Amino acid sequence: MNKNETAELNRRDFLKGSSFATLMTMLGGVELITRAPVQAADLATLVPFQVKCAVIGLGNWGREIIATLSRLKTAQLTAICDTYPASLKRAANSAPNAKGLDDYRKIFDDKEVQAVVIATPTHQHREIVIAALQAGKHVYCEAPLANNIEDAKAIALAAKAARKQVFQAGLQTRSDPQRRFLLDFIRAGASGKAVKAHAQWHKKQSWRMASPNPARERELNWRLSKETSPGLVGELGIHQIDAMSWFLNGRPVSVTGFGSIMQWKDGRDVPDTVEAFFEYPGGAHLTYECTLANSFDADYEMLYGTDAAIMMRGSKAWMFKEVDSPLLGWEVYARKDQFYKETGIALIANATKLTNLTEKATDETAYTTKPLYFALESFLTNANTVSSAVEDFSATFDVNDKAALEKYISEIKLQPAAGYQEGFEATVLAIKANEAVVHGQKVALPKEWFELG
Amino acid sequence: MIQSNGCMVNSKQEKYLMKKNCFLLVGTLALLPVSLRAAEDWVRYNAVPNSSKVKVDGTSTLHDWSVGSTALGGYVEFDPAFDLAKPALGKVNAHCDVRIFVRQLKSDKTDMDNVMYDSMKEKDHRRIDYRLSEMVLKEAPKSPEAPFLFDTKGELIVAGVTNKVQMPVTMVRVGADKLKFTGSTSVKMTSFGIAPPTKLGVFSTGDDVKLTFEWLTARKEQK
Repeated sequence: MNKNETAELNRRDFLKGSSFATLMTMLGGVELITRAPVQAADLATLVPFQVKCAVIGLGNWGREIIATLSRLKTAQLTAICDTYPASLKRAANSAPNAKGLDDYRKIFDDKEVQAVVIATPTHQHREIVIAALQAGKHVYCEAPLANNIEDAKAIALAAKAARKQVFQAGLQTRSDPQRRFLLDFIRAGASGKAVKAHAQWHKKQSWRMASPNPARERELNWRLSKETSPGLVGELGIHQIDAMSWFLNGRPVSVTGFGSIMQWKDGRDVPDTVEAFFEYPGGAHLTYECTLANSFDADYEMLYGTDAAIMMRGSKAWMFKEVDSPLLGWEVYARKDQFYKETGIALIANATKLTNLTEKATDETAYTTKPLYFALESFLTNANTVSSAVEDFSATFDVNDKAALEKYISEIKLQPAAGYQEGFEATVLAIKANEAVVHGQKVALPKEWFELG
Repeated sequence: MIQSNGCMVNSKQEKYLMKKNCFLLVGTLALLPVSLRAAEDWVRYNAVPNSSKVKVDGTSTLHDWSVGSTALGGYVEFDPAFDLAKPALGKVNAHCDVRIFVRQLKSDKTDMDNVMYDSMKEKDHRRIDYRLSEMVLKEAPKSPEAPFLFDTKGELIVAGVTNKVQMPVTMVRVGADKLKFTGSTSVKMTSFGIAPPTKLGVFSTGDDVKLTFEWLTARKEQK
């Protein structure tokens, strides 16, 4: 490499040779991070319980789920399932102790399996989720729940009726301690009155998967067809839009969308570049942008308040204060990073707790532990908690008193997770936003659409 | 609510008896002198779901801690000679069996609950049981709403270890067919073979814990 090349380090080389955190540090911001909770010494080795679970749907995300479950000591992966033999074989390498099955019904017939994680194509969720619930399994269903509202409602209603089981929607940021910390921070008014929000997902990639034959091509690339896909805003945007609605503490009243195929003119009919504008009660707006044609600035969410803007990137966050905002105190000592021409203050949950004083002041957790880990951890813990409650309650009181059992279960404190209602609302919003994008129009969102009845 | 410094005598129970609680209970009751009348004549009150609470309070070098539950099951039954309207002071013929599953005791910290279950050997001893052995009415109610005050003796079985406990217990009538019992006692974790959880350099928990309960029972319907 000559002198000029070194001096002209381009963005791509920079990203290759350095971590995202370094990039953020160079750009300059105050970071908002959750510190990992201190664990008692014996907690490190303690295996309090194990939930026998299965994963259905072994694409990229299914394999990510298997990899995450293998890190969770409360998970005992006993079965994996996919109808496509090559996918099954590939996933089996990461799950050597799990049975490989080509039909999900075999999992539901197995009384040993307590919980299932469903990561099949979105349009296949309904049949599998309802069969799983009927078989008495706890269900984790990836988001969106479905590619149409009728299916989403059927899933949510089935989950609502299964009082003795856990249903979790795959909106993993709802379980992320960092996001939960931020929520409290924002609700406490630290950023002032929220006036607008912005989220984006930029990545130059085709979204098309390589396939050996036309039949498999159609099956594998279901995301590229309007018939089966809720589009970029439905498949990717759902997580960011749900998170921002959560932070804005409201549900949009309308969405306006635009979409075009700008780069990948390969026969697909799903736009590769989309924009959506969500209008919230009180006048705040969320702008959402997603493209498969450019990678600049990757993915992040911004919340703009009258006292500060908060930027969230994965599990990390920074606050950018206004000059006239009140002094909180702690930010004087907080880590600060530069972003463009602004200085961001790192937000770290529980940073002042006594238990954390014994911990090394690092923030590695925010990089190494993804929201999916926390979401699956919550799912397994909640599945165990509810199953234990049902078993113990039935051995303590009259087993025929179903109302008493349901009341007992409803009062149990569970780990934070998106349930059927959150999953349904996020799915309806994503489907309607995609509708707005596809037709390039404004869609009103009456509250009745979000109600299950 | 009555405060008490419960007194205890340690006694290890035979392991095979621990695994056969039902047989033990039946055997013990059969030997009690109070069981002179046929059990079916006795007036039985069963625990009401979601209407009771038990709390265990402890200390640590970091902060006080507390776990609790509402799933307090079991029953109490009285000799028909014990008249709630005109109770006689002195010994009351009664049977009482209270139980709770260990993993239904919860705090707001799941990780610490798991440490607690492990310390209490939950996988081998899933339940905490209390069995009444003696009940003496010390003070009768002066009105229908006023409390009955009892002195009680019984056995508390935690983590497979049985200790004798004695404590004052208050009973009040609730409506026409319910009885609510309240009481509390202090015990030492080590007396049940439980090592108080610690983390070197961070915290250690105190050996003494206080159990407080409020237990609602309803009269079993007569056939």
